[in-house]
Amino acid sequence: MSKKRGRLQIIYDILSVIKEKNGRIKPTNILYKSNLSNQMFQEYINELMQKGFIIENLAKGSKTYSLTQKGFDYLNKYQMIADFTNSFGLGE
Amino acid sequence: MMNYAIVPHWFFGYNVMLEMLFFAITLLVGAFALKIYQISGQRQSKLFGISFLMISASYFIQSVLNFASSYSMADGCSMQTMTWAYSLNIAGIYAHMLLFTVGLVTLAYMTLRIKDLKAYFLFAAIAVGALIASSNKLYFFYIISSILLIYISFFYLRNYLQSRKANALIVFIGFLFLLFAKIHFIFSINHGAFYVIGHLLEFVAYALILINLVSVIRRK
Repeated sequence: MSKKRGRLQIIYDILSVIKEKNGRIKPTNILYKSNLSNQMFQEYINELMQKGFIIENLAKGSKTYSLTQKGFDYLNKYQMIADFTNSFGLGE
Repeated sequence: MMNYAIVPHWFFGYNVMLEMLFFAITLLVGAFALKIYQISGQRQSKLFGISFLMISASYFIQSVLNFASSYSMADGCSMQTMTWAYSLNIAGIYAHMLLFTVGLVTLAYMTLRIKDLKAYFLFAAIAVGALIASSNKLYFFYIISSILLIYISFFYLRNYLQSRKANALIVFIGFLFLLFAKIHFIFSINHGAFYVIGHLLEFVAYALILINLVSVIRRK
């Protein structure tokens, strides 16, 4: 049985999907690849934009997302963040 | 009324060095937690960082105070020096107790995973208010710290049982040692040996927390 993903892991998965597509990806693709419900996906996307991890791009009527420097930093330091938060019980 | 812990004469100086070490370790952990908050935006890391910075400030005040006390005693005992040392002592002990208590309340609040500042201020007001109103402040401080640390240690035991990782076990044992240290400090009001044992247990506790931090940083 697979273990339930934590919040930090979900954020990592979403940011990884965006990074894989060279930093530009449509919301439906992220939704499909991140394996979240529509409502959860929307909540995470809003939070990630609010915290400055991703930005929304509007071009020719279609919406795409790309990573900010803060988003790249999160991906690079994810293992350290996960180890620190898990050992000190800081997971949400 | 303010009771004092009995400090064995030979331990003066060593206690200051240990408290400075605790100050440095807790400062490092607190600053690192805030760095993690900066990268991840995670609220729990922010609360954890703030709590450790408060604990760090409490150790800084305690070590400076103990250093000043030892220095004024070595300097000779004029009436003026003694009055100055006494006033400094009282102010420092209060500052240490308040900062450490609020630091532990913040840590306990973090473990509750609730987002309600009113609840946080209520917990802090109860702890600080009871400390100020108690007739024997130092004694009460060690008791309330022990109660908070029992709760926090249980939280870290559950955290270890959920993850079964060595790092989580190290942190749990670290907080357990911190609890044992505070329990020993309760008895230090009557026996000097408990003051020394309390410091040594605190040293083990913070060494374990530092080992965990170093292992996290080295793995990145």
